[in-house]
Amino acid sequence: MARRRNTPPAGNTPPAANTPPAAATPSAGNTPTSTPGRTTRSRSIPPVPTPVSSTPGDISSPVSSPIGNTFSSPNNVTSSVRKRGRRGMETPPPPPHSRFAATPDGSGIGGSGGGGGDSPPDTSTPGSGGNGPSSEGEDAEAYEAPPMYVWGTSISVQDVNAAILRFLKHFREHPSHDEGKYMKAIDSVIEMEGESLEVDANDVFDYDNDLYTKMVRYPLEVLAIFDIVLMDMVSRINPLFEKHIQARIFNLKSSTSMRNLNPSDIEKMVSLKGMIIRCSSIIPEIREAVFRCLVCGHFSDPIIVDRGRINEPTMCLKDECKTKNSMTLVHNRCRFADKQIVRVQETPDEIPEGGTPHTVSLLMHDKLVDAAKPGDRVEITGIYRAMSVRVGQTQRTVKSLFKTYIDCLHIKKTDKSRMNAEDPMETDESSTQNEQGIPMDHEQLVEKLKELSKNPDIYEMLTRSLAPNIWELDDVKKGLLCQLFGGSALTLKSGASFRGDINILLVGDPGTSKSQLLTYIHKLAPRGIYTSGRGSSAVGLTAYVAKDPETGETVLESGALVLSDRGICCIDEFDKMSENARSMLHEVMEQQTVSIAKAGIIASLNARTSVLACANPSGSRYNPRLSVIDNIHLPPTLLSRFDLIYLILDKADEQTDRRLAKHIVALHFENPENSEQNVIDLQTLTAYLSYARKNIHPQLSDEAAEELTRGYVEMRRRGNFPGSSKKVITATPRQIESLIRLSEALARIRFSEWVEKKDVLEAFRLLEVALQQSATDHATGTIDMDLITTGVSASERMRRDNMVGLTRNIIMEKMQLGGPSTRLLELLEELKQRSGNSELHLTDLRNALSTLASEGFVVVHGDSVKRV
Amino acid sequence: MVGRQYDCLTNPLGAVRFTFDKAVASGSDPASFDRKDWGVADIFRDFLFDNDGLAQVPILTPSTLHVVQPNSLVRFRGMIQDMLGNEFYVGAYKNEETWNTNKFSDVAQFPMGPSPDMRVWERRLLYCVPVPGQNTWADSASEGVIHTYATSANREKRQRETCSVSDEMDIQDSSNETPNSPRAKKMREGESVPQENMTDATDCSTSMAPEFDRNSFPCLVKIYDTPESDLKLNDVFEFIGVLMFDTDVKDDKHGENEMANCFDEEESVNLPSSKVPRLHCLVHRKLSVNDMISISPTMEPKPELLRGIRDSLLRHLTVVLGDDELAAHFMLLHLLSKVHVRVDSVAVGKLSFNLSGFDKSSISVFGNRINDAIKNLLPYSQRMPLTVDYLNTASLAPVKDYQTNRLVPGVLQCAEGSHLTVDETPLQSGTLNNNGVENARLLKDLMDFQKVEYDFKYYKMKMDADVQLLILSEGKSNILPADIVLPFHPTAVGPLGNVDAETLNAWRWYLATLRSLTYSIGTEIQKVVEDDMVSARKVDRSLGTEDFNRWLTMGRLMSVSYGEACLSNEHWQMVKEMERLRKERIK
Repeated sequence: MARRRNTPPAGNTPPAANTPPAAATPSAGNTPTSTPGRTTRSRSIPPVPTPVSSTPGDISSPVSSPIGNTFSSPNNVTSSVRKRGRRGMETPPPPPHSRFAATPDGSGIGGSGGGGGDSPPDTSTPGSGGNGPSSEGEDAEAYEAPPMYVWGTSISVQDVNAAILRFLKHFREHPSHDEGKYMKAIDSVIEMEGESLEVDANDVFDYDNDLYTKMVRYPLEVLAIFDIVLMDMVSRINPLFEKHIQARIFNLKSSTSMRNLNPSDIEKMVSLKGMIIRCSSIIPEIREAVFRCLVCGHFSDPIIVDRGRINEPTMCLKDECKTKNSMTLVHNRCRFADKQIVRVQETPDEIPEGGTPHTVSLLMHDKLVDAAKPGDRVEITGIYRAMSVRVGQTQRTVKSLFKTYIDCLHIKKTDKSRMNAEDPMETDESSTQNEQGIPMDHEQLVEKLKELSKNPDIYEMLTRSLAPNIWELDDVKKGLLCQLFGGSALTLKSGASFRGDINILLVGDPGTSKSQLLTYIHKLAPRGIYTSGRGSSAVGLTAYVAKDPETGETVLESGALVLSDRGICCIDEFDKMSENARSMLHEVMEQQTVSIAKAGIIASLNARTSVLACANPSGSRYNPRLSVIDNIHLPPTLLSRFDLIYLILDKADEQTDRRLAKHIVALHFENPENSEQNVIDLQTLTAYLSYARKNIHPQLSDEAAEELTRGYVEMRRRGNFPGSSKKVITATPRQIESLIRLSEALARIRFSEWVEKKDVLEAFRLLEVALQQSATDHATGTIDMDLITTGVSASERMRRDNMVGLTRNIIMEKMQLGGPSTRLLELLEELKQRSGNSELHLTDLRNALSTLASEGFVVVHGDSVKRV
Repeated sequence: MVGRQYDCLTNPLGAVRFTFDKAVASGSDPASFDRKDWGVADIFRDFLFDNDGLAQVPILTPSTLHVVQPNSLVRFRGMIQDMLGNEFYVGAYKNEETWNTNKFSDVAQFPMGPSPDMRVWERRLLYCVPVPGQNTWADSASEGVIHTYATSANREKRQRETCSVSDEMDIQDSSNETPNSPRAKKMREGESVPQENMTDATDCSTSMAPEFDRNSFPCLVKIYDTPESDLKLNDVFEFIGVLMFDTDVKDDKHGENEMANCFDEEESVNLPSSKVPRLHCLVHRKLSVNDMISISPTMEPKPELLRGIRDSLLRHLTVVLGDDELAAHFMLLHLLSKVHVRVDSVAVGKLSFNLSGFDKSSISVFGNRINDAIKNLLPYSQRMPLTVDYLNTASLAPVKDYQTNRLVPGVLQCAEGSHLTVDETPLQSGTLNNNGVENARLLKDLMDFQKVEYDFKYYKMKMDADVQLLILSEGKSNILPADIVLPFHPTAVGPLGNVDAETLNAWRWYLATLRSLTYSIGTEIQKVVEDDMVSARKVDRSLGTEDFNRWLTMGRLMSVSYGEACLSNEHWQMVKEMERLRKERIK
């Protein structure tokens, strides 16, 4: 005894061997005839204490299956059949020898009846009954044994058997395929000497709805039959194939959340998602034990685990010896199987507010052991089981508790970390599915998104939903929205490619929430890297060659830009970046590749990334006396690669201040739900975004193309303003590309396949607003600070346009060309009368006049206006 | 009305079973009782609230644990510290043709044979602890009740703790009287309480008395039929239910059932009932501060009355703060602050307060005075001396321990409305390690967003918090930028004088009641506020969102401190004046 305890594998097993088996199991379980009854009980009322059944042996019975092939005794086939029968079954099978007699050839489907314990008590010889026909019968349909039912239900074993066979033989993914999907799969499993066949539950559902329902509701029984059918088929295809093949079901139609598992799910097939938090060490579980007599050295026949325990022979079986209590376990002749207990926890998104994550235990066997590591996100399919908590024999009280766990059938890693995803958009798509729970919802989601896109207001709505806590800056947000949606990349046959990514530079005074915008976009973008310019070196951004310390080989390590391929690379403090590092961006931003030529590695890596950079003006604050270019102070080569350059200037403006004040007061006193009802939540926004990026590829309409040409020509002309020299950002062919990209993005926002004229117009507007171009005096290249209207809303702009028009009319009527000047106050009075709005302010008028002045229509001198 | 055949107090399970039998007899199918109540809650509610039974129910504390008997009705007041998921149990079963129930009980009354007539139901497990930082006045409410109950209960039956019950109780009681210095010390040392509980949890002893100490007296509450959203982490509840001591699963360990052991690294092992009593909850109710005040003054919140209390409280605070009246005003607003709404990441309503200008001598005088004053006024308060060493070693955030499957509490896991005083004066220059940086970030997050990041190892989860933060520092605290920074200018260290219990209770009631007052703003004053902001920004461009937010919060708290539900111009002007005075001091 003592010796046995000291050896590791025995640690798990010997206690079982020592106790008389009958003590723990209800006596009913001991004779084969009563087996069916027991199965049944466990089926209808799941967790009866009978679940002695749920003692280790039974739960882990699948473990035993693969061993059939390592064990080459004459009865190997039989033993594997037996195990098949038990696979996943809660009920212990009848003692092996009874099975022996029942299914001598091992291929009998009838074995399933006995093995699965599915035969009703009256068919006392299911084995022999099923044997004959099955061995010659080609199809299960031809099966003629007396009907057997899954206990407590009207599910006929034969029917299920036939249904499974039909499914395996005839299911085709596509009508045009000649060979069934699973027949092919079985062939390949045989070829690979695999141990399991993965069965997509969706296929089962599509092929035979009824079978699917049965499988989910009575997984123990149906899976047992499934395995037997599989084995049967395999042995017919290749009689020499000895391995046991298990069916691994995955991809159920509906998955539950851990939180919603309840008593009614016990003994049902469930599928859930979670994160693995802990794996136990691998537990070797004894399957077959061999004993040796200490006196005569006689080895016993292998004793198979029965209901989780080994019946230690009390005396030597050798006729000459017959010594009592002399048998000892021989470890290295026993067979063990792997078992592991894994704990899975809810993923953060499933946890309701004010709750802590739930966990559930998983039982893994064989191949599933170590299939996933702590930290992995997984999708599990398994059978939910409950096991009564047993109280020691000394205690009289009965515990009424159950421990629950999932007997794992299939595990799928769903590693959705943004970086590892093959296609970021794809991932996002599926992760939104995940949130919805069922893939079916995908269609609903798409419908919902399409519905959303029909909203005439969608552009404004999305703008509002973008970083709602960053206040104002509407136009900047619109630009960022365009960046998120992106234009379509185009590769011509000639090999020339045009990027679809939009690059944006934010230049602005300190404290104008640039960095906040950046972090927000970083969070929202399908994939992205956030770096700070000051801390980034050229190689850190692109790629560098490093020596692997172990092998000494040179390896290429990707930098931030490469890592954010197909995403957005956010660079903060762009101006503080070293010249060297910044120059690396030239290639990335136009060619979208990173080329490396060093240490014998010459490579060109994809870096199809949008760059979102932000910088302070040179000298930290914007200096209105300097030109825009001088203020930004970045090389024009780099500047021209940005599609949109936003000047975010902090300017004293009573209206902005008032809006800020209003905003804050509202924050404190209004019900936030009411005030922001029109905002799309982050999840929908992400879903919308990824759907648009994936499915919408807008093209330019003729009308739009015309508008583009016209606008571009005008821009060029404006750039040629006499005396402008190089102080103004002039339009280059790059600009027209930007405009195309922007208009495409705008069309995408509407889920429109065509770029329309209004998109182009908006693109022009965005471009203009971006650099405050409307406020730039083209003569000097400086910005008239009074004109800066960052983030003016559309209505406000309309109002201002009206003002300008109205003022122009008044001046046209009242004043002579070159005539005497008029005082501003008089004009204001007139304006008030005409507009019928007495709330007009002098500043409004001044704004209007300065617009007119920039057109060369009037000259403003202090308080007087003169028409020229 | 069902006459009470069973004494709800001593035999609550009898009442449960009685109603069950009655329901079955009236023809209901026991299977349909899953997640439903068959009238138990009504009986107990009726008994507790309509017939004044509540006062007779003993409160479960370390000192009363010896007195109360298993299977009797008890109350437990505590904070939900962790949720241990759901538990399946045999809800109803048949014993010789009659249905029985196991609801509200751990063990079955009759032997349960394997039978098909067995219904599995589920219940939730909540791990509750006494509210961290609970001040003595807030839980002294129970003492009186216990003694009367103890004498009335027949002592003979209590065989389990024959060992000098009375002595035990005396000791415990006296420890109750002392201010909760042991706990404060604990905090300082950064020990997390349940951990120590767990290390020696495996050996199960039959005597349960000595293990409990005042500071860690957890209770495993089993909740039935309650929607998940009702009970949230860190909520403070009073649970009334059946006290029970689990039969230990431990015996099983050496038993033949290895399988069970594999799963057994779970709750039950780590929480042996010898250390953690089980409470099968029949009725639960959320506790407000007013429930804590022992002799709750039933006062009408009339303006004159409130004004009187406000003045006296303000005077008291002024004395405490060495005649610094401005500081006292700010302190009052600070004590009234509460997160009342969250818009995006902004927690509106918080008002953290940084009293700067302390030095070694003044902190020793005023630090304690302030601390004592707060302890007397608020139900839950903690003090944290900030040192490099503390930051480096303390575990501020709750961490999930997957070995034990438990959430190990951190200092920052505290109930809604807790007060935390951070004493920054002992902070010396030094190097922060990883943990230190993390802790500093946690404090700052709490300050800025009123959120605490719980560490679940594989991911972190931000949980909403509502903690009043007071920082005492030498200069302006840069580690913890508070909403209000005020240089402290004490002029005199006057004697505090004796405050009678009634006044104290009035103050407590005042703070508790007014904090939860609803509040709005009229359109006119709204205009005034906006104008003021615009003109202020004209003068000083550096004024930003935070400043305006602070003004409005202060405005709100100012009116609330007078018990008014609407901001008046007068109060707004007071706020502006306070801000002006504060600005002057900062210069």
